[in-house]
Amino acid sequence: MIDRLVGLICALIGAGAIWHAQTLHVPFAADPVGPRVFPTIIGGVLILCGFILMLRPGPVTMEFGTWPRALAVLVASLIYPLLLLPIGFIAATALLCFVAALAFHARPLPAAVSAVATAVVFFVLLDKMLDLPLPRGPLGI
Amino acid sequence: MDALAALLAGFQVALTPLNLAVAFAGVALGTAIGALPGIGPINAVALLLPLCFALKLPPETALILLAGLYYGSGYGGRISSILLNIPGDPGLVMTTLDGYPLAKSGRGAAALAISGIGSFVGGTSAVILMTFLAVPLTRLALSFGPADYVALMVLSFALLGTMSEGKAVKTWIAVALGLLLAMVGIDGGTGVERFTFGSLELLGGIDFTSLTIGLFAVAEILFLAEGMISGVVSRTGNGARLTFREIVYCIPAMLRATGLGFFLGVLPGTGASVASAMAYTAEKRISDKGTFGKGDMRGLAAPETADNAAQTGSMVPMLALGIPGSGTTAVMLGAFMMYSITPGPLLFTQRPEVAWGLIASMYIGNLMLLVLNLPLVGLFARLLLVPAWILYPGILALSYAGVYAVSNSAFELLITTGIGVLAYILRRVGIPLIPLMLAFVLARLLEDNFRRALSLSDGGYEILFATPTSIVLWLLAVVAIGLPLIRKPKLHQAAMAEAGKPGA
Repeated sequence: MIDRLVGLICALIGAGAIWHAQTLHVPFAADPVGPRVFPTIIGGVLILCGFILMLRPGPVTMEFGTWPRALAVLVASLIYPLLLLPIGFIAATALLCFVAALAFHARPLPAAVSAVATAVVFFVLLDKMLDLPLPRGPLGI
Repeated sequence: MDALAALLAGFQVALTPLNLAVAFAGVALGTAIGALPGIGPINAVALLLPLCFALKLPPETALILLAGLYYGSGYGGRISSILLNIPGDPGLVMTTLDGYPLAKSGRGAAALAISGIGSFVGGTSAVILMTFLAVPLTRLALSFGPADYVALMVLSFALLGTMSEGKAVKTWIAVALGLLLAMVGIDGGTGVERFTFGSLELLGGIDFTSLTIGLFAVAEILFLAEGMISGVVSRTGNGARLTFREIVYCIPAMLRATGLGFFLGVLPGTGASVASAMAYTAEKRISDKGTFGKGDMRGLAAPETADNAAQTGSMVPMLALGIPGSGTTAVMLGAFMMYSITPGPLLFTQRPEVAWGLIASMYIGNLMLLVLNLPLVGLFARLLLVPAWILYPGILALSYAGVYAVSNSAFELLITTGIGVLAYILRRVGIPLIPLMLAFVLARLLEDNFRRALSLSDGGYEILFATPTSIVLWLLAVVAIGLPLIRKPKLHQAAMAEAGKPGA
């Protein structure tokens, strides 16, 4: 069932790629092939593979672990870039590591300690020692 | 021999203080990262890639570092395989078969020692073979025209499909998706925007570092967070130490595995996982007297040696032809390209300091690794005692810090996470990530050669099949595509089934 769905999506992506390639407008003919042919071929391969998968699907075992933990890491990862510039590298990274540490079964206090330590260590290592500028927060650290 | 003279010049590059320090950092970090459960060579290289660029290291230094990480993690990977029974990457599944029983019976230290020696034998012999084979191979490659390159790349993709676990059609889907992702941005030939959907950020294309970090760091952490991997650390100690007789006893197995591993590593598309599986199966057939799988030294030495020989072997086509033989060498090829260096036949004549400096550094790196991995292996083994909730959040933070350092853009972090989610979904539905990576790196080369060939013939497709070389390569590709339809890749599957676990 999952394979059929994957096949369908692949075929649709392939069709989209071919359609997009045909809309490309080439101002002048630099070479006889142009930018269209290659995406069209790849789109064709995707459609073909999609159909093969739809017609001859195999079993896909979906063995999930405790997926809410992965989701927590994901949400923290999505919020991280939004916080990075406003509150600075150390605070944002500590927050990211705190959530991730909880997701990896840490108790809150050790998680907080290790998160802050990780953030500070990386800041010192990258910003101070290797001279790669990382965003400072409002307090300048 | 001109190879020896060139190698000597390479040593002058590799022995500068900076390059020595970087080689040491590379192999030590590689061993450390490789030792972490669930994290393999490709993750190690991906993790440090952005930092190389952000630090603006000179190309030969950056490549010495990345290569050190690569073969260093081949040494480190055995630690978690033996002590935890958790292979860091598919190439190490075979190491667990005899390694873990040895550790459980109290001979963990001996198991680590013999596998360290095996890694050294495999790694170093492969570097020696590489020294003498690289230049002849480039001579062959010099005769390649654009059409031959197109055929060669299609053959690499086809071999990936044949050798990978699971369905070949999914490998092709991964290849097609990788090629499509690489097309995002401005077309080099005509300046036309493709697949940018009017977004300014996508004009420059998808950044290579974001892609590798997304595929091999973020997605990996998401998987690990679900807690699919767990284990109990065995003690290294108390049992009998490795004796000299046992080492001698394993030497024939190691030499056989070196040859097999190097050969399979050089073939495009087949990586360390196939090599170690075949070395184990072959060694079992030759010397098993009912002891294999219960802690036979040779059953441990053979796959470990083959794994490292194949890793080094897979660098040969990357350097000599510009076509990577494995996922990790594809990442390294991408690194070359970010420095505007094109690996391939011209690398050895135009940038000998890069090519030979790298090869020379691998002699030094393997020696360093022998020291790091025999007396100091306990230090690395102790890494396994660091709790997961300190390690993996740290890896995630380092990944994002690296992407930020190289791009200076918070938006790039969102793209990286997005790629990570895509990679997570792809892995869930059984679409392999390594062919996607390989295709992404080769896309530009493939399209350029394709268009160059067709402009020579003014648009006639017959030119793709015009030379004897290209006809042979196309025929091989057809065989490689057709083979899984007729017969399942039995050997690999049988070996994996024997290991009793899916390739992680």
